[in-house]
Amino acid sequence: MGSSNASGDISADMEIDAFRRLFPVQFYERHFVKSLRPDARTLNSARDTSVALGAVSSANGSALVKIGCTTMLAAIKMEIMTPSTESPDEGNLAIEFHMPPICSPLVRPGRPADAAPVISKQLADTILSAGMINLKELCLVSGKAAWMAYLDICCLDADGALFDAALLSAVAAFSSLRIPVVSLNDEGRVFISEEMEEGKSKREPVNKEQRKLTLSNIPFSLTCVLHKNYILADPNAEEESIIETSVTVVLNSSGQLVSLYKPGGPVLAYTAAIQDCVALTKQRVQELQIILNEAISDMEVD
Amino acid sequence: MSSRAGTTPSTYSPSTQKKKPQKPTFNDSNGVRSDGRGFYQCRPAYLKTGAVSAAGGSAYAEFGNTKVIVSVFGPRESKKAMMYSNVGRLNCSVSYTPFATQVRGQGSEHKEYSSVLHKALEGAILLESFPKTTVDVFALVMESGGSDLPVIISCASLALADAGIMMYDLVAAVSLSCVGPSLVIDPVLEEERWQDGSLMLTYMPCRSEVTQLAVNGEWTTPKIHEGMELCLDACKKLAGIMRSCLKEEADSPSIQ
Repeated sequence: MGSSNASGDISADMEIDAFRRLFPVQFYERHFVKSLRPDARTLNSARDTSVALGAVSSANGSALVKIGCTTMLAAIKMEIMTPSTESPDEGNLAIEFHMPPICSPLVRPGRPADAAPVISKQLADTILSAGMINLKELCLVSGKAAWMAYLDICCLDADGALFDAALLSAVAAFSSLRIPVVSLNDEGRVFISEEMEEGKSKREPVNKEQRKLTLSNIPFSLTCVLHKNYILADPNAEEESIIETSVTVVLNSSGQLVSLYKPGGPVLAYTAAIQDCVALTKQRVQELQIILNEAISDMEVD
Repeated sequence: MSSRAGTTPSTYSPSTQKKKPQKPTFNDSNGVRSDGRGFYQCRPAYLKTGAVSAAGGSAYAEFGNTKVIVSVFGPRESKKAMMYSNVGRLNCSVSYTPFATQVRGQGSEHKEYSSVLHKALEGAILLESFPKTTVDVFALVMESGGSDLPVIISCASLALADAGIMMYDLVAAVSLSCVGPSLVIDPVLEEERWQDGSLMLTYMPCRSEVTQLAVNGEWTTPKIHEGMELCLDACKKLAGIMRSCLKEEADSPSIQ
């Protein structure tokens, strides 16, 4: 951070930390001029990302995702429901995003974070509209029983780009999902078959082959913040608090646009800026796909 | 959500269709439990400080399938409605993830844990070292695998140490179940379900002081003595592991 010894203004006589807190925008701009960020990243690069599948053994599928310090834990629990009459051969998904008080000093118990319901809705919209999951695959017995997949995503550490990390953890949890083998009893209730214990089950399981969901058109996202002409990919919490304009682009694995959010902010983005964000997201999708595939093959080896 | 979201259908989790689950026997001559441990053997503990970067101090604890994160914030400004106080305040809150329990959403049943955690830690902290302010201790149970409360308490005292809050000593907590004629230490969920009595001890080993002792259910006096001795011994060992975890962290400061 050598930029602080520039002569001719107040910053020359000030300690870096004080300057950073008193004049955050100037502090950041000095880095941007040199195409750098205070955490030593270039403007367009995302933070280190890791995916670990099967983190929670009480769930049917789960994943722990870290993007920099931002940490998300997603888990899916499968329950049985009676399908609605309009769609007797479809299961359903319920997606919820939680920000427990451990994740950030701004969240207090009993007072949920403002951001949580917004991200919850965005996630549900994105996952359901991306066509990643075929709800028909969640059907067990048409009109009688189908799966309800409860996907809960908990933020364990909030350090910016929460939506990106939450979406990645949701996708990863679905790819680690193993559906239990179930049978139907006389009263029409579904129970888990125990082929392991009794050698063979008394009743034929209803979903022998359907242990995994087929995931197509997997959505991936990248959030960028805009400041003047600069575009910063994958902002951390400090950057998000200083620069208020953000653009979140969601693309699917074949590069098609799923959704684009630009929720207000002081910077009015030109088409060119949006196009740059989409281009950055395209690169990021490829990175994320490799990371996810590695995590899946790691799990299958175990 | 889809258009059907308005009417949430009632759901249930499929169970294994067996007769009533059998009560496990604990008077086997070989003295081995369902997970291969001896009656007086604790689960291996994994502890790590600095799990949450956004917090002032934090710790992660994993005892078998019980997984807990605790974040500590502060000392920071007390809530506006609070009266003036010469000594600091400790505010504790314990929550469960919806997927922590076998049946979804059952974790909210443990409402009393927040106040038990508060009482277990209060005696160990030098509250007068942060007058007029509050230290918040928030715990999240990511997976419940039995003996949740003692794991939360031990993990919280580690997180407080990580946050640099002044304490007389670390607080180590261990629980024990009485199942029929046997005592089993550090019980898993299934053992807790069948217990006739439970005992939890929170202890500061360097000062040989007990901050909390909770005894529930059917006990005979000699059994209580035996149980307390077992817990005291286990707490001492656990505190050793906690101490070495803090030392490791101090020896290898991460460069941020």
